[in-house]
Amino acid sequence: MISVWAVEAVVFALVVAALLAERPLPLAATAVTLAAVAVLLWLGPGLRRQLGVIFTRHRRAAWLGGAVFALLLPAALRGSPYWTFVATMALLYVTIGQGLNFQIGTAGVINLAGAAFAGLGGYTVGLLTVGLGVPPLLALLIGPLAAMVVGAILFVPILKTRGHYLALVTIAFGFIFNILMNNLEFTGGPQGIKNIPTLRPFGHVFSGPLRLGDLVLPSHANFYYAALVMAAVVTLGMWRLHNSWLGLALNTLRDDEIAARCSGVNVARQKLVAFSIGNFAIGLGGAFYALMVGFVSPPDFDFGYSLIMLSVIILGGVDSVPGIVLGACLLIPLPERFRFLHEYRLLLYGIVIVLMLLFRPRGLWPASVRRFPLAGASTAPSATSPSDRIVPAKPALESR
Amino acid sequence: MSLLETAELTVRFGGLVAIDSVSLGVDAGETVGLIGPNGSGKTTLFNAITGLYPAAGGEIRFAGERISGLETHAISRRGIARTFQSSRLCLELSTFDNVLIGLHAHVHAGLWRALVERRRFVAEMQAALRVAGHLLETFNPDLARRGFDRARELPQIDRRRVEICRALVSRPQLLLLDEPSAGMNPEETAQLMQDLRVVRDEMPGLAMIVIEHDMYVIEAVSQRVVAFNYGRKIAEGPFASVAATEEVREAYLGRETASSA
Repeated sequence: MISVWAVEAVVFALVVAALLAERPLPLAATAVTLAAVAVLLWLGPGLRRQLGVIFTRHRRAAWLGGAVFALLLPAALRGSPYWTFVATMALLYVTIGQGLNFQIGTAGVINLAGAAFAGLGGYTVGLLTVGLGVPPLLALLIGPLAAMVVGAILFVPILKTRGHYLALVTIAFGFIFNILMNNLEFTGGPQGIKNIPTLRPFGHVFSGPLRLGDLVLPSHANFYYAALVMAAVVTLGMWRLHNSWLGLALNTLRDDEIAARCSGVNVARQKLVAFSIGNFAIGLGGAFYALMVGFVSPPDFDFGYSLIMLSVIILGGVDSVPGIVLGACLLIPLPERFRFLHEYRLLLYGIVIVLMLLFRPRGLWPASVRRFPLAGASTAPSATSPSDRIVPAKPALESR
Repeated sequence: MSLLETAELTVRFGGLVAIDSVSLGVDAGETVGLIGPNGSGKTTLFNAITGLYPAAGGEIRFAGERISGLETHAISRRGIARTFQSSRLCLELSTFDNVLIGLHAHVHAGLWRALVERRRFVAEMQAALRVAGHLLETFNPDLARRGFDRARELPQIDRRRVEICRALVSRPQLLLLDEPSAGMNPEETAQLMQDLRVVRDEMPGLAMIVIEHDMYVIEAVSQRVVAFNYGRKIAEGPFASVAATEEVREAYLGRETASSA
């Protein structure tokens, strides 16, 4: 148990150091340490296996430790509001990435308009709060619904297309969204929507500092904690959906549509469900972004961001729920570290995608085989009530 | 009245008549062998019954109701299951995944139970895993033990078994087997025939149509044989009489000409 926490503490210290180190000497020291750790993990499969074993054995402790360190991060970063903001962005990309991965990874519905659906969430929040005076918290719930509804309408032409054509339809949608936002009067045109009011649940204003006793955290910490809850809830939800009947049906129709149909899967309906659930999560990320930054404009949701969302999935692992968390937490802060490269740092995304597809196409944390809640021989039988019987008659061939 | 009936069923691909007004009946508990040369329309018949191809004429009735025109998933839900000539397992998914998808239309746990009301979801999932496990065990105890391995890791015979389990797990009334012995050596084919006998013993009410090129399999498993050629039914009856039919021999071996003697 202690070893689990020790490992997590080391990771935490390294992350904080990597984010905050500014002067050459500490920066170099952190870089060397990180490289050493990476090489150690890369070359020592025994070490990796051992880590895996202790983390599975002390699963609860690992989760507890991880939660504590996630909560401590803003305190460690309090000297630099900027990095708290970047960490919050990473959490938004976890939320968005989970939604997109449910579409692309689990269901095989290629959506290359992630940014547009995030934009739908963001713009809805902007229009509702600024234009109609709807409370921000309510708008945060309506935004993702708007993304879901528009996605469902778009799904009608998508349904008639397959494979690469499907991707093209979504790309087209992404551009149409951007052009519309740039040209429509009521969305503010290229200026976008400014002065979106901030969240203020229970009278606590999110744009002000966060006071915890003697500790004063910058205002970004408010959003960090809210985004942490959101990302955790969405990730848990996606994990459960992936390991449910829905996830199984989606995986099957992704791999073999004919087999799925002949097994009784209504392919069109299940794809629509997956697309809508995914768009909800993506729209939620966009809506949160609008409330955090306080304004939305077309360039915030252009095609480039769709590609960044896609690279999160490719880096983390297609169809891998934990992989998405890893992917977002690596891919979002890393380019910020390389700001001195200016626009060239965007090359990083391209390089990451190419390298991953060449050398590790399943991602850093590949999807594992679906583990349904295991039929523990001792606990199982009594839990079944008659209404839960799968098949009306007695289980097939059970008599033997 | 038969469980499955096709009445003057016709399937066309453009100008080509793949199935030419075929009338056929299968009773509950009966195994029908379907034979014929390549391209004679056997698999097309399966695809028409399961709704993958539309019928151009005639109709298909199942358990007294018309099913031609319904969508594939709706037909499957009425109790028609099938396997495919070239395996259609999802090789990256586990053995259990591949079998459990067969229960898709029979489970109750929707999104709410999967997300929130976990107790009932888990109970149902465990019941389903037991059903799948028992079914796999009847064919090969090893399959259930290695149920969480990817299907890719299974040998050919076990993959075919998993496909049959996927079809059977929902206890269908009619099972369509499309060349189950395709790609198997004689030993595996013998095991397969044993497997089909197990199915027959355990699910006495199940009707089966088996497409096969291996006449030993056909002779061993089927009570009645139907022969196809050029999309038409050319013979029907017990194996011996169909095999003796002149038209069937011609379809397989070609016409005997005067000069060939």
